[in-house]
Amino acid sequence: MDLNDIRGGRLAVISEESEQQDFSRESSTMEAYNVVPEPGGRTFQRFSVNTNESLRFEPCEDSCPSPTGAEDGRDDVFEKGECEGEIASIRNQLQGKVAEMENFAGHLEEIFLTVEENFGRQEQHLEQHYNDVLQTLSQRYDDRETGLQEEKKSKLESLYKQLVACGQALDTSKELIETAQEVYRCQDERLFLKTVMPIIKRVEEFAKEDIDLSLSTSLEFSTPLADLSDVKTMMDSINVVPAPSAPVINPQLPNSATQTSLHVCWSLFSDDTVEYYELYYRPVLEDTPADSTCAPQESKVKVKETHCTVTDLLHNAQYELWVTATNTTGISPASEKALYMTVPSPPAIKQRECSSCPEAALIRWESGNTNPVDSYIVELSETGTVGAESNITESIVAVPTCQCLIQLQAGRQYLISVRAVNIGGPSDRSDAITISTTGTFFYLLEDTAHPCLSMSEDGFTIFYGDEELPITAMAFEDNTFTRCVAILGDLIPVRGRHYWEVEVDDETEFRVGVAYEDTERDGYLGANGSSWCMRHIRTPSRHKYEFLHNGWSPDLRITVHPVRIGVALDYDRGTLRFFNANLEQHLHTFHCRFHNYVHPCFSLDNPGALTVHNGIQAPDYTFI
Amino acid sequence: MALTQVSSNKCAGGFQKVFEHDSTELKCKMKFAIYLPPKAETDKCPVLYWLSGLTCTEQNFITKAGSQLAAAEHGIIVVAPDTSPRGCNIEGEDESWDFGTGAGFYVNATQDPWKTNYRMYSYVTEELPKLINANFSTDPDRMSISGHSMGGHGALICALKNPGKYKAYDATVLAASYSGPQLDILIDQGRDDQFLSASQLLPDNLIAVCSEKKIPVVFRLQPGYDHSYFFIYSFINDHIKHHAKYLNA
Repeated sequence: MDLNDIRGGRLAVISEESEQQDFSRESSTMEAYNVVPEPGGRTFQRFSVNTNESLRFEPCEDSCPSPTGAEDGRDDVFEKGECEGEIASIRNQLQGKVAEMENFAGHLEEIFLTVEENFGRQEQHLEQHYNDVLQTLSQRYDDRETGLQEEKKSKLESLYKQLVACGQALDTSKELIETAQEVYRCQDERLFLKTVMPIIKRVEEFAKEDIDLSLSTSLEFSTPLADLSDVKTMMDSINVVPAPSAPVINPQLPNSATQTSLHVCWSLFSDDTVEYYELYYRPVLEDTPADSTCAPQESKVKVKETHCTVTDLLHNAQYELWVTATNTTGISPASEKALYMTVPSPPAIKQRECSSCPEAALIRWESGNTNPVDSYIVELSETGTVGAESNITESIVAVPTCQCLIQLQAGRQYLISVRAVNIGGPSDRSDAITISTTGTFFYLLEDTAHPCLSMSEDGFTIFYGDEELPITAMAFEDNTFTRCVAILGDLIPVRGRHYWEVEVDDETEFRVGVAYEDTERDGYLGANGSSWCMRHIRTPSRHKYEFLHNGWSPDLRITVHPVRIGVALDYDRGTLRFFNANLEQHLHTFHCRFHNYVHPCFSLDNPGALTVHNGIQAPDYTFI
Repeated sequence: MALTQVSSNKCAGGFQKVFEHDSTELKCKMKFAIYLPPKAETDKCPVLYWLSGLTCTEQNFITKAGSQLAAAEHGIIVVAPDTSPRGCNIEGEDESWDFGTGAGFYVNATQDPWKTNYRMYSYVTEELPKLINANFSTDPDRMSISGHSMGGHGALICALKNPGKYKAYDATVLAASYSGPQLDILIDQGRDDQFLSASQLLPDNLIAVCSEKKIPVVFRLQPGYDHSYFFIYSFINDHIKHHAKYLNA
């Protein structure tokens, strides 16, 4: 395209319009026009096709419109009065056109730059192509030459051999003749007669021999036809658009993945012509077998855009992805392989392993993914007293393990859920658990239960059955009590005050209290230094009570048997207090500095049952 | 009724005072000790009545039992009356240590020549509370009663014979016929108490009766302890705390 023409055309239009303007206005528009190069800080430059220099634009002085008003002799422009409005609108039009021109010129500039780039690239390709062709040809030449040399050598060798053989034959003949002559000249007639016959035979035989006088090799050189077909192909392909170069695949963007899909983007390294892309992907398995026949299958997607969303994937899995670009010439080399990861599955909160107290809650969950994830996010929201849901009020991020101790406020209700996080992003939210910070709440630790203990479905009542289990049927694990028919509770490891109640009946002999987590599993509650408990013994005539620690108890009588025992633990004051909760009657207080966290403990000394009640706000009298 | 202050000592942030007055029930001058905790300066406080044992006066408890700190902490007024009328000049009243002077047993005598003066039951349950409530910053609805030895017995009978009057109670033997609002009784007994080994104290009977009548009692046998004020001193805090639970509720 000829910029000058375009320019000229446009300029012509503008110059026409400018003629109609007021002269005074004209000067300003003229300036505006002349100033057109300046606003963007660019100067218009001439486009030169004949040189190899990069595009430069020179100011074109020869196309500026002249102030034509005076020359044309139109005097209308000098009449101010009627033209005010027209002048303004024309000026606006002009300004618009000027802006258009600027844009257009800018656009052209870009096009020219692109064209130059493309041109340069084409040149490069061409050069390379021809270089390749030349290289190939010279190689052929070398090969050919070597071939000929070798042939020559072998021919010469065989001829030389022939020569040598002939020489030898000559020598042999000569010798024979000499011998014959000698014999002929021999004076001894007797000797002569003896030897002459064999000699004559030999000579006759020798004469019968045919002499092969043909050359052992031909004098001609075999010249096979040169196979230059590939050179021809290369020559042909010079004119063709080159195959694209390898695309560049982007690293994974955060939050672009879901559990089963990945959003992959890539870009072209250069401005190649591309018809379509092919994206390959395969899962990265943990244990790749040495035998490549068992390698995971790779899948392929054909897309026209430079991005693609791959679906139907496994969750929390790593995938290897690479992409090729294809055009009419061929397929590009593959891009580098990128590793993407799908988002994990949501975790599952383990309800029976969560505990709480007025100031805190301990939440435990299962990862929900077979492969490890990077971390977890715990989200909590407070539910209103009416039970209306509110938005997430707090998020705890970068939780490294499958449990979290959260600070909370007393007397509220919270909804807590967890997400798993990996490079791909966070999973969906797990099902929420409701935590109430009224009183202390805990479940019983089933894996500490003596085999003879069974538990109700809700997990708060324990039974010691009547039937005698044979020793062999009892499955003792590492953590179970083996003698005392006991079980521990999973109290939240937070110091401060805790209160719970135990419901018993009139007949059951029991022990209730607290113990350190590592209390002897083959011991009896209260008989050692790691447990404190209230013990009830039933005799036919009365009830007996002991408050045991280290096997020692004070001597006490209690006249009304408590059926609901309140247990109040105060870490800071170092007290463990027992009450008859129905009567608000204080029974006994242990004084002890608990150097570690303790767990509630319960045991049944004869067949019977007891029920744990918790989540109860501690009555005032329990902590005075 | 006119009260005369006999002594006043600052103690544990409050004041340990002794007053004297003319008793209408006992027809003589009677002294009583009263401990006013710091809280009494600004608020109405509940009152714990302490009945001392044989041969004691109003002095023994306040000088030997060490109750003032706990009383101050829980904001409780402690009143410790004398154990019998004094100076009535009744014949035979000073003959034995466990009868007559210093041995009022917190009952009203029914026979002459005792019945005019020896009305400790009425004194402790009627006259003294009225006097205290009229002259000090008390909450008349919150009263409890406690005691040692003869006083322990006295506390029990006062409580059991006045259902609902006292908010927290201590040892007695008359539980068998009790019917009234629920009690909560705390009893401490020194194991080496000579009266226990001499079978003058019979806690098992009390316990048996209370078990049967379902009167809540916690009875503690304290090894090594005897009958003295050293024993009282050691456990008075637990008792004041026991009372405070109900008085301050």
